[in-house]
Amino acid sequence: MKLAEQEQLFCQWLTAHRGLLWRVVRAFASDAPDQEDLFQEILLQLWCSVPTFRGNSKESTWIYRLAFNTALVWQRGEKRRRLKHEAFTLHAVGASEETASSGRSEQEVRLERLYGAIRELPRLDASLALMLLDGLSYREMGEVLGISENHVGVRLHRIRKQLTERLKGQSDEF
Amino acid sequence: MNFDEIQQVWGRQDAGGSITLNTNLLLKEVRRNQRQFESTIFWRDFRESGVAMCLVYLFGRAWVQQEDWTYGLLALACFGVGIFILVDRLRQRRRRPVMEDSLRGCLLTSLDQVRHQIWLLRKVFWWYQLPLLIPYFISILHEPVSVKSVLIQGFVMALLNWGIYWLNQAAVRKSLEPRERELEALLSSLDEVPSSDHG
Repeated sequence: MKLAEQEQLFCQWLTAHRGLLWRVVRAFASDAPDQEDLFQEILLQLWCSVPTFRGNSKESTWIYRLAFNTALVWQRGEKRRRLKHEAFTLHAVGASEETASSGRSEQEVRLERLYGAIRELPRLDASLALMLLDGLSYREMGEVLGISENHVGVRLHRIRKQLTERLKGQSDEF
Repeated sequence: MNFDEIQQVWGRQDAGGSITLNTNLLLKEVRRNQRQFESTIFWRDFRESGVAMCLVYLFGRAWVQQEDWTYGLLALACFGVGIFILVDRLRQRRRRPVMEDSLRGCLLTSLDQVRHQIWLLRKVFWWYQLPLLIPYFISILHEPVSVKSVLIQGFVMALLNWGIYWLNQAAVRKSLEPRERELEALLSSLDEVPSSDHG
């Protein structure tokens, strides 16, 4: 792949899938420095991996796989490669309940609690929860994680239950 | 919140609105970063094998000029260690985790890499310290020196090598073994099928 093509595809993906990247970052890192760190790491992996994209799977599934793999092997606090700060801004959201209750919209508070509940899940289940909420099929989820569709189904049943239990009663607070 | 409410909250979030990107600058930055990363790797490999090759040259020259075969032994040992480091680096570079692989594949490659690092540091005495110590002691004993001098040099070398060995084992205990356990746990959780409450 030529450099110009790599650049074009990278920019295209960033524009089209930045929401997906942000959701993965928020599901795996709670505070701003960690979120920034993980986001940079995913961007760098994405850039290096663009030339290997062959189009055998859907673009979004491929990016999911790359983002999850990076997030799962990512180590908090490790010395990282750095990008200039002006290149991107993450409008990070604090995870604490105090921040949550101080003047943010009901939707934002609920969303942050949902991300908090996802972060409390084991890391593999957090990946599945994200894909479930983003509406990926069992086949796509299995493809991303390298497990069977049946296995995906069994795990999702437990994840749905756990998320509901963790967030039980929270709708009544508003 | 029940699961329908959870899905509603999820669906209403701003798609990508929480990230502001300066795409041109970002592109320049990732390219710069990749170049920097490749150059760091190159210079690290060059430094590690380069030092060994400099020692090969110095000991080799001393061997020829002073006609002392023990320098030849030292040159040979440095050459062996340098080649070992270089070949190992090149092999490991080919086995780097592929992030676009399935999660299982990526975890297996990462685990393999961590285990190799552990093996390398645990065996540091056999592939790094001993091959250099043997010709060093042969060269000391070959010279007509006093027992006291041999003992002092032996003590200093033992202390130095114990320090090197201890540092390597500490790195294994403090960072590599916890990492290995973490990756193993992730891999086994991939295979673990929840048995309870399915239905």
